[in-house]
Amino acid sequence: MVDPAQALVVFFALAFATALVAWPRRGLAARLVKLWRMTERVQVEDALKHLYKSERSRRPATSNSLAGALQVSATKALKVLARLEERGFAQFDKDGPRLTDAGRAYALRIVRTHRLWERYLADRTGVAPADWHEDAEIQEHRLSEQETEDLAARMGQPLYDPHGDPIPTATGELPAPAGIPLTALEPGLTATIVHLEDEPPEVYDRLVAEGLALAMPVEMVSAEPTRIRFKTDGREHELKPVVAANVTVVPEPALEVAVVPPRSLADLARGEEGGVVGIAQACQGAQRRRLLDLGVVPGTVIRAELVSAAGDPVAYRIRGALVALRRQQAEWIQLESQPAARAGAADGDH
Amino acid sequence: MAITSPAPCRGCAANRAESLVQLGVQPDKWDYFVALAGNPNTGKSTVFNALTGLRQHTGNWPGKTVARAEGTFSNEGKRVKLVDLPGTYSLQAGSTDEEVARDFLLFGRPDVTVIVVDATRLERNLNLVLQVLEITDRVVVCLNLMDEARRRGIGVDANRLAQELGVPVVPTAARSREGIPALLEAIDRVAMGAVELRPFRLADLPAEVEVAVAELEPVIRESFPELPNARWVALRLLNADERIISAVRTGEIGVLSNEAAGREVPVAESAVATFEGNHREVLDAAASLRWRLSPTFHDALTKHIYDEAQAIAGRSMITGLRRAKFDFDRKLDAVLTSRILGFPLMLAILAVVFWITISGANVPSSMLATVLIDNLHPVLKGAASSIGMPWWLSGFLFDGMYLATAWVVSVMLPPMAIFFPLFTLLEDFGYLPRVAFNLDKLFQKAGAHGKQALTMCMGFGCNAAGVVATRVIDSPRERLVAIITNNFSLCNGRWPTQILIASIFLGTLAPAHLAGLLSAAAVVAIAVLGIAAMFFASWLLSRTVLRGEATTFSLELPPYRPPRILQTLYTSIIDRTIIVLWRAVLFALPAGAVIWLVSNISFDGASLAQHFVSWTNPFGILIGLNGVILLAYIVAIPANEIVIPTILMLTVATVGLSGVGSGAGVMFELDSMAEVGDLLRAGGWTVLTGLNLMLFSLLHNPCSTTIYTIYKETGSAKWTTVATVLPLVMGFVVTFLVAQVWRLLA
Repeated sequence: MVDPAQALVVFFALAFATALVAWPRRGLAARLVKLWRMTERVQVEDALKHLYKSERSRRPATSNSLAGALQVSATKALKVLARLEERGFAQFDKDGPRLTDAGRAYALRIVRTHRLWERYLADRTGVAPADWHEDAEIQEHRLSEQETEDLAARMGQPLYDPHGDPIPTATGELPAPAGIPLTALEPGLTATIVHLEDEPPEVYDRLVAEGLALAMPVEMVSAEPTRIRFKTDGREHELKPVVAANVTVVPEPALEVAVVPPRSLADLARGEEGGVVGIAQACQGAQRRRLLDLGVVPGTVIRAELVSAAGDPVAYRIRGALVALRRQQAEWIQLESQPAARAGAADGDH
Repeated sequence: MAITSPAPCRGCAANRAESLVQLGVQPDKWDYFVALAGNPNTGKSTVFNALTGLRQHTGNWPGKTVARAEGTFSNEGKRVKLVDLPGTYSLQAGSTDEEVARDFLLFGRPDVTVIVVDATRLERNLNLVLQVLEITDRVVVCLNLMDEARRRGIGVDANRLAQELGVPVVPTAARSREGIPALLEAIDRVAMGAVELRPFRLADLPAEVEVAVAELEPVIRESFPELPNARWVALRLLNADERIISAVRTGEIGVLSNEAAGREVPVAESAVATFEGNHREVLDAAASLRWRLSPTFHDALTKHIYDEAQAIAGRSMITGLRRAKFDFDRKLDAVLTSRILGFPLMLAILAVVFWITISGANVPSSMLATVLIDNLHPVLKGAASSIGMPWWLSGFLFDGMYLATAWVVSVMLPPMAIFFPLFTLLEDFGYLPRVAFNLDKLFQKAGAHGKQALTMCMGFGCNAAGVVATRVIDSPRERLVAIITNNFSLCNGRWPTQILIASIFLGTLAPAHLAGLLSAAAVVAIAVLGIAAMFFASWLLSRTVLRGEATTFSLELPPYRPPRILQTLYTSIIDRTIIVLWRAVLFALPAGAVIWLVSNISFDGASLAQHFVSWTNPFGILIGLNGVILLAYIVAIPANEIVIPTILMLTVATVGLSGVGSGAGVMFELDSMAEVGDLLRAGGWTVLTGLNLMLFSLLHNPCSTTIYTIYKETGSAKWTTVATVLPLVMGFVVTFLVAQVWRLLA
């Protein structure tokens, strides 16, 4: 008979060792894989991406900016740049490194894979939005050209990634960047948000925390060197210019920015009803299609009819059918801002 | 392929044969074939059964290309094939179900498509009708649930609706067969081409879409001049529908023209010969036009279809009827989902169902056991020896294969035959969706769907049936979670083991008058532990391996409907009981053979079983079990029902007791619990062994019937492996920990 105390010690030691190795993301195995992936090819590709982004945003890249982007030393960055030149992807002139045509085509292919993968995660999977970018950073180096094209075909050749960035075509075509940074919007003017930059992640998280989303109308209040103040529906925001510059808007003169905050379906008390304005952009892919198919389209009047015994979900009368939606889904569904008259049974338990 | 075709559709039926086989339709003989489409909860299966007269119902396991069920019936002297498509809200091909339905309508080209429509939810149902009408002209709308509509004071003018849609509309109440003859007649007339069809087609699309369609349509027409639905194809290309793109690329889309033109052209030739070279243009045009559309044009398109549906529904409703109050439904819902009464009522109803099942199954179970095991088995053995069959053959056939099967049937059949119809009745009445509604919050926290509560309950009857029942969960990730964790529901094959072992080893720990109570509490605790394990595994899975699977939640609460007792009995026995039983029998036969063989094949002076038991015994002891139990669980993979008989037989064989049992490889049970206890204790069992057997009986791999069903349902070896290994690992860990702690404390 094995001594039980000994057996337990051995078991917990084994369990601990397994956790140490196999823990998702932080385990030894995950770290090793990450290190192993940091091959020269990955560095070259990341460097190309950096040069491409700098070129597009007209902020010339330097070996220092590259070192920052790749999180390597300046010496290492110079080595990578030398490698790029050697392979004909970049050349140096007086302004620093510049992409050659071959380098740009390569960079576009990486960007295409990255954005396609984000689109894929948003539309076809349940991966949380916060994880999209990180996942795509890995996949962009992994997928072959053929795999990327197969994915694009399966996804129906999507044109935009979930952050509003256009996906380059297989031949490297890309529409000219539209819109201006939010910081450039004149006070008093209105505009629609068309893009939220997802890099660096800290800034992106800040934008999401502010409740900013694609297709949202904004009105500039004041643009000072230290702070940008602007309004969205029923809310005033204040951001540092460096953060606000990551929001791209297209000015639209006659846009109406509402005074009251937007209502969502989740705000309806039992027995109340409201007309749908739209579904938030945060709801994508299969989720969005299902809601649309159920008849949640602009103009549909929905009534909250039944609250489950546990309080969530709530059953709504949508186009004659009684459909239960979870709170998170109900929050995606935006309603007209004026509350409809309290109709019918007022015996709700809210 | 032998398909008899009458005049009206000779060409297409012959052409279609091959693609239909690809789509999963049985190549029977038929004169014309009909597809049945519709929203979920519209009584589609009732219409199916009303048309085929129940007799032709063939349950079909779903797969990527297989429709749910198919049947044949005769109509006006012709043989008609009816294919039931999955119930869907739309044909946007956003889910597997929608893809199956859409591909079937488009490439299967049914002679008639019957769309079952809920008369009380006309707008939402018309959304689907309008989408189908874009694909095919040959449509009959079955305006079902007219009885319900009348009860609620909702009037629909079927003639007006027919005018609006341009296809026949037949009001029915399939439940009472009202309108079914008229429906049959309409189907026949459309199939024979005796009706003029002018289907409603979407016009005046949102401006940006209209511009793009107007540009693309002529390009398509140029390449495929006879295509009947070029506008729809244009829309799908703009939506970058991969299936349509590939159909254009290969020219397959061209076959749709043949039907319209009534010509007989073999599929492959016409496609390749006529259309090669033209398609590139179409695809390029579509690709460049897509850049001009806003990313949300699909939203606008859906809104447009709904606006049209609303307008048509508005014009077809009969106004001025006295609107009945929805009193009954509303009041019942208010009670059944109320904060105070909701959960107690639910527990009470489920308790009654389980009580009826357990107490009702006892009698038929022991009757079956008496007949099959006590009476028929000796008769068979006797007959075998009287015709001079060698002992090893009769042992192999009757002691092995026959006995295992008989055991499985007698233990498994009665509870399933009681439990499933009861459950189906609750489902039919509309209560089960409310259970899911009430419990969803709990399941949501574990990353699962409220409907998993239902599949879990079904699992208490039989895990294989529970796995099949997960089809009601239409969100991919949540369905996988429900499939993989169903095994944590203690199925009725395991209840007898639990009760027996609890009574022998735990009941005796308490004073005599409390013994029954303690062992009952222990069994319930094990079942509750199973539920806890289910939540834990669901939570773990949805956060790790299933993190990336897509999720869509929606839970429709259909109105309460009086259940149809007879039909429910029929379908639940056919669909659930018989199919599951058949699979169990298929697996029990070889298992019986193996049990007999390992006990009777010997080398080095001991049987295979004895070798294995002594080899695994150290590991078994380590985790508080023993080698006999481990071997029993390996050979009894086909069905948990035979675990105890196998353990008894193996214990006798390995301990070398004489005077008990029926010989090597012959399973048996003892009449008195005390005898079983004595036998097991003689085999070295302690309270710990009993306790750990109960735990291991809950936490081990699913039976092979369930494993096979999981594989059929998921079509994935990976998920089948996860579902098999995960509970086994949990079982080993839990029994190991319990054993060590027990030994430390003892």
